[in-house]
Amino acid sequence: MMQRTQFIDPGRCIGCQACVAACRECDSHRGRSMIHLDYIDVGRSVASMPTVCMHCEDPIAPCAEVCPADAVLVTADGVVQEAAKERCIGCANCVHACPFGVPKIDFEEKLQYKCNLCYDRTSVGLAPWCATVCPTGAIFYGTLEELLAQRPNAVVSDIVVFGEQEIHTGVAIVAPSGYARDWIPGGLP
Amino acid sequence: MSALRRSTEDAAAPRGLDVAASAAGVAAALVTLAAIYLGSRRLRDFDAALIGYATATVFLAFGVVYRYVVWVQSPPARRYLVRGWGSFLSWRNFRDFPTLVPRELFSNLAFQTFIAKRGAGRWLAHQALFWGVTLATLITFPLTFGWIRFDVVPPGSRYAMYLGGVRTITFAPLTWLGWMIFHALDVAAVLVLIGCTYFLWRRFRDREATTGQRLGFDFFPLVALVAISVTGLLLTFDSALLDGQDYAFLAIVHMAVVVLTLVFIPFGKFFHVIQRPASVGVDVYKRTGLEREGVFHCRRCGAPVESAAFVRDLERTMQELGLRFGEWVETCPRCKRTQRGERYLEQVKRGFS
Amino acid sequence: MTERHELPIVAPGIDDFAREGAGPAGGWEAPERPQVRLVPTHCCFCGVQCGMFLKVDAHGRVFGVEARDHDINRMRLCPKGVVAYQQVNHPDRLLRPLMRDRRGDPLRPVSWDVALDRIADEIRRIQDAYGRDAFGVIGGASLTNEKAYLIGKFARVALRTRHVDYNGRLCMVSAAAANKKAFGIDRAANPWADLLEAQVILLAGANVGETFPVATQYFWEARDRGARLVVVDPRETPVARTADVHVPIRPGTDAALFNGLLHVIVREGLVDEAFVRDHTTGWEGVRDTVASYPPERVAEICGVDARRVEEVALLWGRAERAMALHARGLEHHVQGVDNCLAVINLVLATGQLGRPGAGYGTITGQGNGQGGREHGQKADMLPGLRDIENPEHRAIVAERWGIDEAELPRAGTSFVEMMEQMRAGQIRGVIGFCNNPLVSLPNLSRIEAAYEALEFHAQADFFLSETAERADVVLPSAVWAEDEGTTTNAEGRVVKHNRAADPPGEARPDWWIMRQIAERLGAGRWFAFESPREIFDDLRDTSRGGIADYAGITYEKIERTGGVFWPCPTPDHPGTPRLFEDLRSAFPDGRFRFHAVEWREPAEPADEDFPLRLTTGRTVAHFLSGNQTRRIGALVEQTPRPWVEVHPSLGFASGDPVRVVTRRGSATYPALVTDTIRPDTVFIPYHWSGRVAANRMTVDALDPVSKIPEFKVCACRVERGDEIDPLSPPPIPPGRMPQPFEAEPAGDARPPTAPQGRGTSER
Repeated sequence: MMQRTQFIDPGRCIGCQACVAACRECDSHRGRSMIHLDYIDVGRSVASMPTVCMHCEDPIAPCAEVCPADAVLVTADGVVQEAAKERCIGCANCVHACPFGVPKIDFEEKLQYKCNLCYDRTSVGLAPWCATVCPTGAIFYGTLEELLAQRPNAVVSDIVVFGEQEIHTGVAIVAPSGYARDWIPGGLP
Repeated sequence: MSALRRSTEDAAAPRGLDVAASAAGVAAALVTLAAIYLGSRRLRDFDAALIGYATATVFLAFGVVYRYVVWVQSPPARRYLVRGWGSFLSWRNFRDFPTLVPRELFSNLAFQTFIAKRGAGRWLAHQALFWGVTLATLITFPLTFGWIRFDVVPPGSRYAMYLGGVRTITFAPLTWLGWMIFHALDVAAVLVLIGCTYFLWRRFRDREATTGQRLGFDFFPLVALVAISVTGLLLTFDSALLDGQDYAFLAIVHMAVVVLTLVFIPFGKFFHVIQRPASVGVDVYKRTGLEREGVFHCRRCGAPVESAAFVRDLERTMQELGLRFGEWVETCPRCKRTQRGERYLEQVKRGFS
Repeated sequence: MTERHELPIVAPGIDDFAREGAGPAGGWEAPERPQVRLVPTHCCFCGVQCGMFLKVDAHGRVFGVEARDHDINRMRLCPKGVVAYQQVNHPDRLLRPLMRDRRGDPLRPVSWDVALDRIADEIRRIQDAYGRDAFGVIGGASLTNEKAYLIGKFARVALRTRHVDYNGRLCMVSAAAANKKAFGIDRAANPWADLLEAQVILLAGANVGETFPVATQYFWEARDRGARLVVVDPRETPVARTADVHVPIRPGTDAALFNGLLHVIVREGLVDEAFVRDHTTGWEGVRDTVASYPPERVAEICGVDARRVEEVALLWGRAERAMALHARGLEHHVQGVDNCLAVINLVLATGQLGRPGAGYGTITGQGNGQGGREHGQKADMLPGLRDIENPEHRAIVAERWGIDEAELPRAGTSFVEMMEQMRAGQIRGVIGFCNNPLVSLPNLSRIEAAYEALEFHAQADFFLSETAERADVVLPSAVWAEDEGTTTNAEGRVVKHNRAADPPGEARPDWWIMRQIAERLGAGRWFAFESPREIFDDLRDTSRGGIADYAGITYEKIERTGGVFWPCPTPDHPGTPRLFEDLRSAFPDGRFRFHAVEWREPAEPADEDFPLRLTTGRTVAHFLSGNQTRRIGALVEQTPRPWVEVHPSLGFASGDPVRVVTRRGSATYPALVTDTIRPDTVFIPYHWSGRVAANRMTVDALDPVSKIPEFKVCACRVERGDEIDPLSPPPIPPGRMPQPFEAEPAGDARPPTAPQGRGTSER
């Protein structure tokens, strides 16, 4: 987990898509929303979940690993950047290798786009757009101490498990207090 | 950890000498030397004043090939290299899709239509830069290698161009053709300057470009191209209007910036020139793979994910990289997220806390 | 085995960028900071009034938004708030006055002089021929306090007509009337920060997550501190989903539920006897009434489990600090006032008032829902929440305005009643500011007939609304960011909007328009305002000594403090964030009033022919009549069209064409089949116009006191439809091209993924 990072709590999400609208306002990819908002219990409840880049730390950034053009850079602060414009060849390897389903791609532009933690903002100490506007704190940005000061009962995990693969992530997910495991299921049985 | 960092750092970062790449690089340097030697008719046509350029080119050959070999050793790049060239050189593909490769070369490499989709301004600027650099490259390398030489045709009103010692065309200097031939590098410089001005403006003005930009990676190449163009134009200016009074000095400055830039190519942003053709290979591979093996449908929702060949190859790549969730590729990104959300509701929490 | 397929293969959710339309006019820009000026202001949309900065470029053009750390919202914004700025330079904006000579002619651009002279002539002609009251003025609660105040003054001083009312009549007037009856003052009793101290929060008929998304943080943070949340709503809304208790009552049974809660509280001895004895009157009547609402009966009326009624009652009754909040779900009923009074009875009986964490409030819907009803654009009110039939109040206001009290008109009729009078020829001409009744009023065919019957209709708006489209004269007004002024949010906090840009073309602020007309009517001296600040000073002076006393609020004070809660009678007064701290009401005797309430069936109960209950409401991506939000690409992309929400037991599948029929009309929508709605209830969002306007079907029955229409329940039936009714794109001025996203793409009449809209991968 990064020192200052995002904490995702789908339990607080109201599915309003403020994050989706705000993501378009990010100066580093203005007009394009990188965040995903999925309704995950369709027909049974209004439950929803935002997906931002988890900035995988170990194994580091599968999207970068599978990139044939070395286009995905991980900066020293642990942020997995969007594809370098001059290098990306639009092959979509990263799109399909990402276990969280994060990267997007514009096939016409032959360019991958993904959440870069609003690098224009976070690199100068501001919170990313989605966490800034999120009306519910379902996306929180700060340190773990700051989170716990507001939500004393929260437990967080930065391990997501896909089948046999454990992924340690730079972004953390909130679990309820008393949660028995130290990892979050990733969806792959 | 260091192994994990491998592909993510800037790939030019040093991490011990790669033997295979070194061997290939040395070979490339030797081939370049041989080509200069033979192409200049055993140095008879070689202009000694241009030796700095030739030397830099030899180093460039080493660097580019070294970097290239290192690059294509990574599992994803190697797979695309093999698949791309395989599709490119396949007779069957040529027969079934005769126009595919020429179309790709035209739109992807020459006219870069994908950049037009990113923005008209960026496309125009990149085209100016591209054609300027291409023109300059096509003239400068043969010239410095001694492959091209010009001579006066007696009685002296016309010039002749010699290619590898063979006389090709002759022309009068004061005609349109003559002007173009003698000033082609100036034209190239102006094109490059147009492109660089736009991109430099963007790097100061547009936060899409400024976010995360790096001095060495993003500014140096533009500054280098500006420096080459400006010093090159100054050479013309000096000889045309100032009787060449500072020509020797300017020539050295020009050569210095060119040499620096050439040596830099394998390490920085310019390497994309070498990498970009891979996109043609990938496109050809995807197209032909799709036609032959069909579409792979999402295991959960049935929507098309990618071509079956792509899915199979990506799974193999991930296996080679030690990523143990290759089968997840068979699920579309939306269903990956939804399934994670469902597991969260079932196994982590349903409600607020 | 091979399958023809085009490249590229786009798996779901990997290229769902906003491609066209979803952006500011002139495209997306990301200039470096030195080229950007940040103007602090607030959102134009709901009653939360979130603070925000507008980003203005070197040419004075608004091109973006930046988060603002204001006390109300602490940087947070909802999807509407984020894109609100895209209205400023929107290509659909009205840039010149439009006019038609007779009905049926097309609108054509004219000069301001021609348009204003025509309006003044028609006002004079109609008033001379049919009397002063034959011309009506209709305002809106999205107007700033300055403009809302001026609407009332304009109607009563310039036109001297009693017929002035506003679209807040569709919003929270039931709560306003109940507040007046119980507390003697119409304002939320507590600031929302008090929620953080509450142990139990009861939220009734308020889909906070969708209609006041940013207010959700107060509820969530209260829960982080241990508060229990109870939500009363026929649908499992986003806040109801995770609530500690969700009571999914049948629409139109709120009063029974709250009587039942009080019944259990009385039975369990949880009444705060000391509070009731010392600070209230009328308890006995209420106690006797609720005696006949045992949980079993309530369970039957409301269609919920009796144990849940007990559970909620005990939660509330045992809490040391509890707060109750409600919104339109409770108020949009023929017994809307009674519903609110039933909640207030619960609050009073348990003494949950006047303390941090203990209190009550309505969440006003429109941006200035609170302020808009305080300063005299309401038919029965004068500025400062004064009563137009109270001789003392009349005298004060007449004196402050410098007119003869006898010239001050008496109370007029409500918005919906005015429509009846228009149809009946009692009102012959209307000028409207900031409203769109041809989408927002119930039983639309009667509203259309009402406007059709007018001899003259002028409408001011910044987009050509469905109502403006039919007007004889259309006046181009400024959007919120092009003028300054104050609004009063749902808490009673007065905040300041600042001007970020000049109005485009010939558009002008509404106050300028009213001044021009007043001058032409010979009443210019009462309207000689050069700026909103001068109007605000007039408002402050007029409200002085009233209940909503703004005398001590100044622009500077608001800017210094981040908002001032009224009453604030003097410049050195800090404002009043929490009412009733001394446990005294605003009545002379200081006592709070209980009002016994009996539950009654809605105006149109379900029967054999129409066995289901239709309830209408909102969705998060759109606002009110949609005149603003249906033109913003990002919001259209999220929720492109209306749908009908039905329970799986009705036998439909999502996407099926389902025809909804009431006694007044029918329309066919795509079904969104979900467990989150009661089997006996169907839901349609009302933001759209034309064939699919939900208000074609709603009933125009009114609460006898507040005159609010019963939007929240009428009888209906559903049947399998043939073809889904198409959307009507929002009207645009003559000669313009519609935005590409404004019309529905052929064949894409899918319902949203969830009531909150389409998921990002479902577009």
